[in-house]
Amino acid sequence: MEATIEVTGVRKRFGSTVALDGMSFAVQPGQVTGFVGPNGAGKSTTMRVILGLDAPDEGTALVDGRPYRDLRHPLHHVGSLLDASAVQPSRTARNHLLWLAHSQGLTGRRVDEVIELAGLETVARRKAGGYSLGMRQRLGIAAAMLGDPPVLMMDEPFNGMDPEGIVWMRGFLRSLAAEGRAVLVSSHLMSELQDAADHLVVVGRGTVIADTSVADLLDAASGGRVTLRTAARSEAMTVLANQGATVAATDRDTLTVSGLASERIVAILGEHSVPFSEISAHRASLEEAYMELTKDAVEFRARTAQEASR
Amino acid sequence: MSLAAGDALRAEWTKLRTSPGTIWLLAGVTVLTVALSTAAVAATSCPAGIACPADPTRLSLTGVEFGQAVVAVLAVLVISTEYSTGMIRVTLAAMPHRGAVLAAKAAVLTGAVLAAGAVAVLGSALAGRLILPGQGFTAARGFAPLSLADEATLRAVAGSDLYLALIALLSLGIAAIVRDSAASIGAVLGLLYLAPIIAHALLASPHWYNRIQRYAPMPAGLAIQSTAGLAHLPIGPWAGLGVLAGWAAAALLAASITLRLRDA
Amino acid sequence: MTATMTPYRPRQQAGRDSFAQLLHAEWTKFRTVSGWVIGMVVAALAMIALGLFPAGAADIACQSAGGPASHGKACVSPVPSGPAGEPVTDSFYLVGRPLTGNGSITVRLTSLTGKYPGGRASTPGGQPAMIHGLQPWSKAGLIIAASTKPGSAYAAVMVTGSNGVRMQYDYTHDIAGLRGAVSSASARWLRLTRSGPTITGYDSADGVHWTRIGAATVPGLTAAARAGLFVTSPLHSRITSDFGGSSGQIMPSVATGTFDHVALTGAWQNAAWTGRDVGGGGNYSEQLTGGKYRQAGDRFVVTGSGDIAPIPAGHEYPGPPTVTVEQHLIGAFAALIGVAIIAALFVTAEYRRGLIRLTLAASPRRGRVLAAKAIVAAAVTFVVGLAAAVIAVTAGVAIARSQGFVIYHVPALTVVRVVAGTAALLAVTAVLAVAVGVILRRSAVAVAVVIVAIVLPYILAVASILPAGVGEWLTRLTPAAAFAVQQSVPAYPQVTAIYTPANGYFPLAPWAGFAVLCGYAALAVGVAAVMLRRRDA
Repeated sequence: MEATIEVTGVRKRFGSTVALDGMSFAVQPGQVTGFVGPNGAGKSTTMRVILGLDAPDEGTALVDGRPYRDLRHPLHHVGSLLDASAVQPSRTARNHLLWLAHSQGLTGRRVDEVIELAGLETVARRKAGGYSLGMRQRLGIAAAMLGDPPVLMMDEPFNGMDPEGIVWMRGFLRSLAAEGRAVLVSSHLMSELQDAADHLVVVGRGTVIADTSVADLLDAASGGRVTLRTAARSEAMTVLANQGATVAATDRDTLTVSGLASERIVAILGEHSVPFSEISAHRASLEEAYMELTKDAVEFRARTAQEASR
Repeated sequence: MSLAAGDALRAEWTKLRTSPGTIWLLAGVTVLTVALSTAAVAATSCPAGIACPADPTRLSLTGVEFGQAVVAVLAVLVISTEYSTGMIRVTLAAMPHRGAVLAAKAAVLTGAVLAAGAVAVLGSALAGRLILPGQGFTAARGFAPLSLADEATLRAVAGSDLYLALIALLSLGIAAIVRDSAASIGAVLGLLYLAPIIAHALLASPHWYNRIQRYAPMPAGLAIQSTAGLAHLPIGPWAGLGVLAGWAAAALLAASITLRLRDA
Repeated sequence: MTATMTPYRPRQQAGRDSFAQLLHAEWTKFRTVSGWVIGMVVAALAMIALGLFPAGAADIACQSAGGPASHGKACVSPVPSGPAGEPVTDSFYLVGRPLTGNGSITVRLTSLTGKYPGGRASTPGGQPAMIHGLQPWSKAGLIIAASTKPGSAYAAVMVTGSNGVRMQYDYTHDIAGLRGAVSSASARWLRLTRSGPTITGYDSADGVHWTRIGAATVPGLTAAARAGLFVTSPLHSRITSDFGGSSGQIMPSVATGTFDHVALTGAWQNAAWTGRDVGGGGNYSEQLTGGKYRQAGDRFVVTGSGDIAPIPAGHEYPGPPTVTVEQHLIGAFAALIGVAIIAALFVTAEYRRGLIRLTLAASPRRGRVLAAKAIVAAAVTFVVGLAAAVIAVTAGVAIARSQGFVIYHVPALTVVRVVAGTAALLAVTAVLAVAVGVILRRSAVAVAVVIVAIVLPYILAVASILPAGVGEWLTRLTPAAAFAVQQSVPAYPQVTAIYTPANGYFPLAPWAGFAVLCGYAALAVGVAAVMLRRRDA
C-alpha cells in the first residue's frame, strides 16, 4: 500500500517552544488512522504543516508524494477539517461551501451533494453564525468532502457533537475508509476513537510515541495478564508462583496473574487440585492503553499548553 | 456601589494595562503628534517682507489632527475587542452593572489618553518654541516664542490635550454602539475628517460653512487651538471644545442606553 | 480490515486550474456577506448625497452697487463662454477696422505702461494711492476676432507686462515669443496675417528680421472679422496665501500702449479706425481713466482694461459663481471610508475567524489569493464607484445649473477622466486596504491606516493653516496626490490666480497624481505578498 500522507522528521519551534520535535509517520489508504495525544502534543501543528499553512523548520510533509503547496486543486487530493468555527458568521452554510467549491472549479451541484452527505439539508441556507458547534463540525466535514478526496484529515471532529452525532461520525469515518480512502482523525480522547480507528499514531511532546494498529496496541497493553477468581487464594498463589508467574491479589477472591498463558494456568491449577470459579484473559480498553502510553506526555502538558492555544 | 465602581475601575485599568496594543498605541499618539507638529513648523517659514497673519501656536499643534486618529483606534479597540472575542460576556457576568463598566472604561481611557496627550502637546509646543524663531517667526516681527506663561498658548496646549481625551470618549461611545471595530473606526474617522472637507467644499455658501465649523466635532473642538483672530472664528475656543464635549457626552449616553437595552 | 484495499479513486474530476476560479471564489465570498454588499451600496449613496449637498446648499448672493442684496439665479449675470465652451473674460479696448478677407497688419510697440490702486491710502479709510506699474499679464497688441461678441473666437499677438511677446488664441492657447519688456529703446514689432481661417503671428525686434510665433485656425472667421490694435489689463490681485488659506485683495488696473508704424495689406475695408470697449469695457474710475485712444499720424496711444482669457476655476477668483465637475464628487471621501472598511474586512474578517487557513488550504499559492482578493475588491469598488460618480455628476450639474451656477464646461473626455478617475481612485483604495489588511491582520488598525494615509494629507493640504507650498508637497508625495485625477480645469499660466490644492489645483498632472496612489498600493501589495508567503497562516 502506498502512503498518502507522509510526514518525515518535521521540526517546528514557536519562539522558545518546541512544537514538533522530529515528527514522522505515514497514513495508509483504506483505514482510519487515529492521531492521538494530549493537548499540546503537536497534533494541530502537524496538520497545519501537512496543509502547507505552517512552514516546518526541518523535515517534510508530503501529500500524494508532493508538498501541499504544489497541489493545483488541493481539495481533490486531501479534504481537511481544521477548525469548525472558522466560518464567516454572516454567510450561509451553502454560500460558505459555494466559494470553496468555486475555488476548486466545482459547481453548486457538488455543494448540494456534500450538504446532503453531511445531513445539513434543512439548515444549509441559514447563516453559519447561528450554528451550534456540532452543526459547524458537519459543515466542516461537508467542506472536506467537496473535492471527493482520497485523503481526509480532521482535527478533533468529535468536538461539540452530541452522542448521536458521535455515533454518526464513527460510522461516517468507517464508511470513508471502507471506500478505500485514507482518513486521519486527531483526538485527545481515545474513547472517541473506540470502534472507529484501525490504526493509531500516538504523539506526545511533538514526536511519535507509538505507531501501531489498534489490535497490537490492545494486546500490548493487556500485557498477557489473566484474572483468576478462586476461593483458595493462598494455594493458588503458591503453586503459580512456583511456576514462575507474578501473582497479585486484587480482591478477596481475585488474583491477577502475569507471566503465564491462561491455558497453562488452568493446567497447573488442575495438577495441584486447586479449585477456581473463573479465569479470564484481561483486556485493556483503548483508553487504558492510551493512558499507559502517554503518561509521560501528559505530565508535559502544562509546559506546552501555550502552543496548544495558538 | 462605590466599592463596586472602584472594583470596576481597577478591573478596567488592569485590562487596559495588560492589553498588548495599549502601550504601542499610546506611544503612537505621542510620537505621531509630535512628528507631524514638528514637520508642520519646520515646513513653514515667514520670509522677510511678507506679513504672516499666522497663528504659530495653532501651527505647532497641527499634529493633534494625526494623533487623534490613534486615540480613536485605541478607544475603539477598548470596547470592540471585547465584542469580537466574546469577552464582553465575561465582563458583564463579573460586573453586571453595565453603566458602571462603561464609566470605568471611559475613566481609565481618559486617564491614559490625557497622560499620553500631555506629552504629545507639550512636545509639539516645545518643537514650535525651538523651531519657529529660526523660520522667521521672531520676536522682532511680533512673534514671541511659544510660552505656557502666555494665557492663550496655555489654553491652546492644555485644550488640545482635553481635545484628545474627548475624542477618546466620543470614539468609545460610538464603538460601544457599533461594536464592530472596523465599522467603528470608520464611523469615527468619517465623523472627524469629513467635516473639514465638506466645509471646505461649502466655502461658497458661508452659511453652511459656518454651521459645520461650529457644530462638527473636529472643526469645533480644534477651535481651542486658536490664539489669534478669535473675533473672526465661527466659534470661540472654549465654546468649540464644549461642542465636542457635547458630542462625546451624547455618544456615551447613547452607548450606555444601548448597552443596557441590548443583549450582550 | 483488508490489506488488499485499493486506494480510493475520486469520482469528482478536477477541472483545469485557473486564476479565474480563484476570482470566482473570492467574488462568491464577497457577494455572500450581506453586510459588505449593503456597505458598498451605503458608500455609494453617501457619495451621491454628499456630492449633491454643496450645490443644493449653495446660496448665491449678489450685492449690486447701492441696491439691495438679491439672491439666487436671478442675480447672476451671464458669463461669456469661449469657442470650447469654457467661461471666459473677453473685455478689452479695440481700435479696429473690419477685415473682409485675407490680409495682414504690422505694428511697432514702443511702450506699455499701467497703473492700479495698490498703494497705501493717504488718509485712513481713504482711497488707496495709485501705483504706476503693469500687471504681469497686461496686454497690448494686434487682434483678429470673428466678431466683437464676447466669447468669440480670435487670434492675437501681443506684448505683455512681464511675460514678453505672446501669441494667444481662443482664450486657452498661449505661445511664447520674444522675451523681455518693451520700451522705446527695445521696441517690439508685431504682425498678424490672415489667410482664410488661419491666422499666423510674427514678432521682430527691428522690423526687418521676423520670427513666426505660431498659427491658429480660428473657427467662424467670416468676411466681417474685426481686427486692429487692442489693449487690456487684468485685475490686480494681491494674494497673501501663506496661512489659513489665502486671502486676496483685488483691484482694477489699466494699461496704455503706444503703437506706430501701422501697416496694412490685403482686404481691409476702407474705413476710419474706430475705438470701442469690447465686452462691456473695463473697470474705469476717476483715478483710473481708460477706454480711450489718441491718434497722431500713425501713432496710436491706447488705454484699456479687462482681459481676454479663460476664467480659472476656484472660489477665490472674483466673478460669477462657478462650479466644476469635481465639486460634485466631494462625496468620494465618504465612499473612500466605506471602501476602506469593507476591503479591509474582506481580509481581516478571515484572519479573525481563522477562515484564512481554509482559504489557503484550498488555494496554497498565496500570492494568487492576494491578487484575487485585490482584484475582486477593486472591481466591485470600481463598478459601484463609477455608478455613484456618474449619478453624482449628472444630478449635481443639473442642480447647480438650476441654482444659477455657471458650470465649467470642459471637454467630454475630461469629464470621463474625472468620473472614471474617481472610481479608479476608490478601486485603488480598496487594493491598498486589502494589502494593509493582510499586513496588519487587525481590522481597526488597517482601516485607520488607509483612511489616515489618504484623507489626512488632503485635509492638511486644503483645509489647514499650513502654507500653500506645504499643501503642494503633500499632494505630490502622499497618497492624497491621487485627487489630482479629479481636477477638471487646468491651471492657466496666462491667467494670474491662486493655483493651490486648496483652490482645486494640484501640482501633479491628473494621471501622475493617480500614479502616486497606485505606487503606494503596489508597494503595500508587494509587502503583503511577501508577508503572506513567509508567515505561518
